Amino acid sequence: MSPPPALQLRALTKRYDSGLLALDRFDLEIPDGSFFGLLGPNGAGKTTLISAVCNLIRVTDGEIRVFGEDHRMPEARRMIGLAEQDVNLDRFLDVEETLLYHGGYYGMDRASARRRAGEMMDVFDLRAKADVRAPQLSGGMRRRLLLARALMHEPRLVILDEPTAGVDFELRLELWAYIRRLHEGGTTILLTTHYLEEAEELCEEIAIIRGGRLLARDSAEGLREAFEAQSIADVYVKAMAS
Amino acid sequence: MIAAVAARHRGLLALTGRETARVLKLWTQTILAPILSSFLFIAVFGLSLGGRIREIHGVPYELFIVPGLVTMAMIQAAYANNSASVFQARFDRYLNDVLAAPMRPWEVNLALSLGGVVRALCIGGGLLLLVLPVVDVPVREPLVLVVALALAMVLFASFGVVVGIYARSWDHTAFVTNLVILPLSFLGGAFYSVDLLPSPWQEISHLNPIFYLLNAVRYGFLGTADVSVALSLAVCGALAAGVVAWSSWLFRTGRKLKP
Repeated sequence: MSPPPALQLRALTKRYDSGLLALDRFDLEIPDGSFFGLLGPNGAGKTTLISAVCNLIRVTDGEIRVFGEDHRMPEARRMIGLAEQDVNLDRFLDVEETLLYHGGYYGMDRASARRRAGEMMDVFDLRAKADVRAPQLSGGMRRRLLLARALMHEPRLVILDEPTAGVDFELRLELWAYIRRLHEGGTTILLTTHYLEEAEELCEEIAIIRGGRLLARDSAEGLREAFEAQSIADVYVKAMAS
Repeated sequence: MIAAVAARHRGLLALTGRETARVLKLWTQTILAPILSSFLFIAVFGLSLGGRIREIHGVPYELFIVPGLVTMAMIQAAYANNSASVFQARFDRYLNDVLAAPMRPWEVNLALSLGGVVRALCIGGGLLLLVLPVVDVPVREPLVLVVALALAMVLFASFGVVVGIYARSWDHTAFVTNLVILPLSFLGGAFYSVDLLPSPWQEISHLNPIFYLLNAVRYGFLGTADVSVALSLAVCGALAAGVVAWSSWLFRTGRKLKP
């Protein structure tokens, strides 16, 4: 029997109270261990999809399974790590506390959380800022802390919603290198980005969505062939025009 | 046994720890300031007016107002703490880190409520310690006092969480303090006995829920009250149950918390 996919969406529908239909019977399956990119313009439904998976919005209809578990169950939620597009750090906590409390929310005992927080601060070069509160950190440091927090509880599925938005080129390369190492270690990555070269550089498979519907899904090479395009940018333009 | 239960509810313990840490980090603002302002009420009203209003129901005036002021300080703290903490968490969106975590809705609700309870207990205890050298405050009915204060904290801690969820701006949370809790506390008999009011003000006062709360707490301290203590506790218990049911429903369904 084959292992369940990391993420499985069946007929996922989200209609907001305003009436906006953000996802329309959306189907998607992301295999365990893959590096999957989600591309689409603003309002395409990328963040709605991620929020639905992470239990941050009320789903209108459909089913979400994370490694075979219903996404609302604690077992499923423990397997997901989320770094949101907007910096949403707790203003009352310093860097180390941010990681320790997050570990606690995800059921880690104090000793394991302290050890893992130390590792995360070393990996993301945050050790010197351990006792600095989030609002006093630079933009780049906040972005690192968001990523460290998402990985704190060692999730099997990491969801990165535009993780490199607004960061300088140097940090972007550093984050790319870290995300690649994470994937090589067996973690499934779901990445949304507006940077087409980022999707092409990192992702094994790319899905293009618009208006809450899936337009295309393949490897970067497969998409270029299917759309008879020279680059992913051309693919994107043709997909949006279709 | 306790270790096993704690291990099953680490999320609850962590979030309670976070809420408590927030109160203690800002202690001058969250604990010291309310204690001093309530003590000033006792000093100014009790000790200065005490010479003119000697006794109410056979109780010296400076002693009569202590239970009301302790209750007012505690319920305002429980409400203000939770409404501000929940609203801030929604406003800055760090609540998402909690909502995405593998915690049950009741654990999130309880942990967010406990921050206000901790703050209220610190203020109530601190205020009594400060008052004791000035006014000899008895505890005539300890069981009634414990039940009344527990219901007060449950009611206003949960109410703070509910308002924090519904609020769209800081003004909304302050509105409830300034235009609901504070006036109802003053008109509920914090500084006087409602029995002394002429009709219809006496009857109207009986529609004020905080009147029953103040009476129950006053009975616990002084052994005297304007209405039956059983009625007071029943009204407080019914209100607390209603507000807890409301906040539980919000967390269970995600309404107002999640789009």
